[in-house]
Amino acid sequence: MDFLLDSLRAALHLIEMRDPAFCHAVWTSLYVSFWSIILAALLGIPAGLAVGLSDFPLKRTVITGLNSLMAVPTVLIGLLVYGFISRQGPFGGFGLLFTPSAIIVGDALLAAPIVANLALSSVRGAHAAILPTAMTLGGDRLQSVLTLVSEVRFSMMAAVIAGFGRVVSEVGVAMMLGGNILGYTRTMTTAIALETSKGEFALGIALGIVLMAVALAVNVIFQFLQRK
Amino acid sequence: MEPLYRLEAVGKRYGEKEVLDIPGLEIREGSFHFLTGPNGSGKTTLLSILAFLLRPTSGALYYAGRRVEWKGETLVALRREVTLLHQSPYLFDGTVFSNVAYGLKVRGIDGGAGKERIDKALKMVGLEGFGDRRARALSGGEMQRVALARALVLAPRALLLDEPLANVDRESAEVIRGVIAGLPARGTTVIMATHDPGRAGGQNDELIRLEEGRISRAPSDGREWEKR
Repeated sequence: MDFLLDSLRAALHLIEMRDPAFCHAVWTSLYVSFWSIILAALLGIPAGLAVGLSDFPLKRTVITGLNSLMAVPTVLIGLLVYGFISRQGPFGGFGLLFTPSAIIVGDALLAAPIVANLALSSVRGAHAAILPTAMTLGGDRLQSVLTLVSEVRFSMMAAVIAGFGRVVSEVGVAMMLGGNILGYTRTMTTAIALETSKGEFALGIALGIVLMAVALAVNVIFQFLQRK
Repeated sequence: MEPLYRLEAVGKRYGEKEVLDIPGLEIREGSFHFLTGPNGSGKTTLLSILAFLLRPTSGALYYAGRRVEWKGETLVALRREVTLLHQSPYLFDGTVFSNVAYGLKVRGIDGGAGKERIDKALKMVGLEGFGDRRARALSGGEMQRVALARALVLAPRALLLDEPLANVDRESAEVIRGVIAGLPARGTTVIMATHDPGRAGGQNDELIRLEEGRISRAPSDGREWEKR
């Protein structure tokens, strides 16, 4: 117990002192998570809308596929993207491997199915009268769909937040594609994994506290927007 | 004179179930028609077809002398001439003003001219000064009046109403009845589905009765049609 309390004290000291390694890991995590969730939303929301609002052959199969993609292990995504961006891969020339951009790409692919599935659920759960109402009032297809998105915006935001939660807390993609380079691609989660394996719990706990604070802050902001 | 609507052998099926089968029907411009019949007789289906929201499975619908092609841009143009008011209207999240402004906004009508029309429409339904109120916080009758104002502000060529007097208080019913009774004199064609035409009628009203998707009484013929 003393050992845990000592680690907690050391962690709070690191936060208070704004240790550079600690601050950089926090910044990198937030940076890659932010851009990857933006990319994931740009891919996932239109995909969810397209599947939810149209009828086509094999629709059920596509939905099952999307559901399955939510459970893909992070290391598998890491492996797949690694294959594409490593020197021998088709995009090897871009020099993306072991950069924050590589983590962004991997995390976006990880979060996109989550955002797409939850966006699809939002559309399917939306009031059936939204689209006919928008259309009878003169909205064209795009205007009516945008009205639908606006009406279910909180579910859409929840989808994006769920995706953010996934990318900010994952280790596999960040480790495999970022390489856990100190001061460059080290994220909160890869730092926690590394420090714990070294027996250095203080930095791990400090980063864990920040990770929890980030999750809490995102949810508080979401609740605030919902009340507004 | 060319009727506003002409239906030729219009049918609608959902899978094996035939919900509408109308050999022929004409609706004059500027007329007031009651559409009656028991629940499930096809009233809402017919109104949805007349509002260009639902494509018939068979037959042809002519609007203002032209056959409806049921294609994207043509449909949007047609929908902007006709408005359907649903039995339980869906009000968008926002104020009364933003709801009434919706149809104008999608037509690119903003600013002073739009505000003047919105104020006039709200006055017609007895909701002057309600513009800043949250639409969904209103009573059922007030919500129905907002939906009516949202349709009236567009000055539609035809106004289709699906049981607008159901589930509203007496005061709102009086207001709605008064407003829609005056519309044909302004040239607006009104088709109103109702269980009780006697409560809303005027002297020149015409009656269409549907039973099991078929017309059992047509406008102006003054007799019950022989059921097929």
